[in-house]
Amino acid sequence: MRALAFLAAALLAAATPAWAADATRGAALAEARNCAACHGANGISAVPLMPSLAGQQAEFLLVQLIMFREGLRPVPAMVEPARGLTDGEIEDLAAFYAALPSGPAATDPRNEALAARGAELSAARNCSTCHRPDYSGQAQVPRINHQREDFLVHTLAEYRDNLRVGMDTQMNGVMHGLTNADIRAIAHYLAHR
Amino acid sequence: MNTNIIPALAGAALLLAPGLVLAQGAPPPAWAQGRSPEMANSTLAPHAGRLTVTPPDQLPTAQLRVPEGFQVELWAHGLPGARVMVRGPNGTIFVGTRGIGRVYAVREEGGQRRVSTFMQGLTQPSGLAIRDGALYISAINRMLRVDNVEQNLSNPQPVDLTAAFNLPEAPHHGWTHIAFGPDGRLYVPRGVPCNICDTDGERYALIASFNPDGSDRRIEARGVRNSVGFDFHPRTGQLWFSNHGRDWAGNDNPSDTLHVNMRRGEHHGFPWCHSGWQDPAVSGRLCSEFPPPALILGPHVAPIGTHFYTGTAFPEQYRNALFIANRGSWNRERLSGYEVVVVREAEGGRLVQEPFLTGFRDDANQRFLGRPAGVLTMPDGSMLVSDEQNGAIFRITYRR
Repeated sequence: MRALAFLAAALLAAATPAWAADATRGAALAEARNCAACHGANGISAVPLMPSLAGQQAEFLLVQLIMFREGLRPVPAMVEPARGLTDGEIEDLAAFYAALPSGPAATDPRNEALAARGAELSAARNCSTCHRPDYSGQAQVPRINHQREDFLVHTLAEYRDNLRVGMDTQMNGVMHGLTNADIRAIAHYLAHR
Repeated sequence: MNTNIIPALAGAALLLAPGLVLAQGAPPPAWAQGRSPEMANSTLAPHAGRLTVTPPDQLPTAQLRVPEGFQVELWAHGLPGARVMVRGPNGTIFVGTRGIGRVYAVREEGGQRRVSTFMQGLTQPSGLAIRDGALYISAINRMLRVDNVEQNLSNPQPVDLTAAFNLPEAPHHGWTHIAFGPDGRLYVPRGVPCNICDTDGERYALIASFNPDGSDRRIEARGVRNSVGFDFHPRTGQLWFSNHGRDWAGNDNPSDTLHVNMRRGEHHGFPWCHSGWQDPAVSGRLCSEFPPPALILGPHVAPIGTHFYTGTAFPEQYRNALFIANRGSWNRERLSGYEVVVVREAEGGRLVQEPFLTGFRDDANQRFLGRPAGVLTMPDGSMLVSDEQNGAIFRITYRR
């Protein structure tokens, strides 16, 4: 096949060379962009509403960073950190955080009634089909265990309220019709697994 | 804000939606509504798209196959998520996307082909149409118009027509194809915000048309679960549209379909009837009440680009034939689709389809190498096909 000579725009051309994601380069980039300030030194967040990234699916991280860079997921705190990242740098960052061991389950007391309600809601919505039975995620589908409960509440409500979409719109449909109490139950259940 | 998709569905009332008999329990997620018991433990999930640049040496160009006498070559790359393509009067190809939120412009300058990001930060801008030098962009409920678009490639100042069109805000199945009909009206489909559900049939599961300014809305086709590709027959002007069948009813049922809208407002069967298959999960009306599809395309093949070839460079039997880009299955254990098919009239006016551009689907290893999405005839009679997975555009030519 003949490849035609053509000139891509500068941004695209810069990302065109074959790139192998490199967690070491990603670690340096995470330090340069001060990711740990919010997401924790080992990718385990101690800051309210800030997600843990350790052990997150690389493909999910990649999608989210591209959405921040492109202004598609409006989170003010992520505007500067994502500015100007190339596709390759994003792949490196994703590889770095994906390789870190994910955090423990929440250590605060588990409310059995709330967790049971959350388990019931999760089963009815077949969460474990895409997010896998242990909720560790796969590819573009994120890990949702070992995550801050307050962040889960926040992000699930954003999907329900159509304040964010993913690469597709599956989660908007999934969350349709859930109440705030339902979301609290699902988040409690997931955070305590 | 929470979209008011199904007014009757507050809390437990969800289970009592008229016309639907769904499993008891909390409402299932959009993609799993109506899941059959035998698929309850299925591990099928939508495939991950790719939002980064695929280098040319990783493209499946060498694996692609076309019929004898045709050639396929790489035409452009570096357009992550490339989907629908339209051509401006001065030759710029505009390319819409979904997840990455961009509209690209591809143009020739000084003998070189340049790809640039024309607009970005839009939510699922999958619908593009050109009229009088203006580009119309549909992004879920937003509708934008960029006047004199090819004179304003570096600094587009869109006119916001969102309020005039008043499209539903529900994102799911809200990404859409748009096109101007031979009547000068803009056709805008709207899928159902679910897999199967009872919806407001005046807002969802339809194809509507509008004046270019968004006024005078008319419903052209009803009972259409999710059409993301259509075109108008070059001779008759009739609306031909492809439609995605429901998920979670089995590997081989129902099929995706091709329909011809014979009269304005015609009802095509959703939610009761899919490709002539009576949905056991939904009671109320029978398949016999609806016109049958013009052609059964195959289970879960996911027809996107649906385009009449209007050039003359291809052999006679391809002229005015319908090309359909099947983006490929996810809700099926073995892959289906992942190819461009051509639909032609056989003897007696019966429609038949045959593969045209293949090689994206690797049956032996059950993997796919790309996902064809958009189809466009070029003025020289060649054809462009976009590959959404790889962010590439291929060109097909014919030489005797």
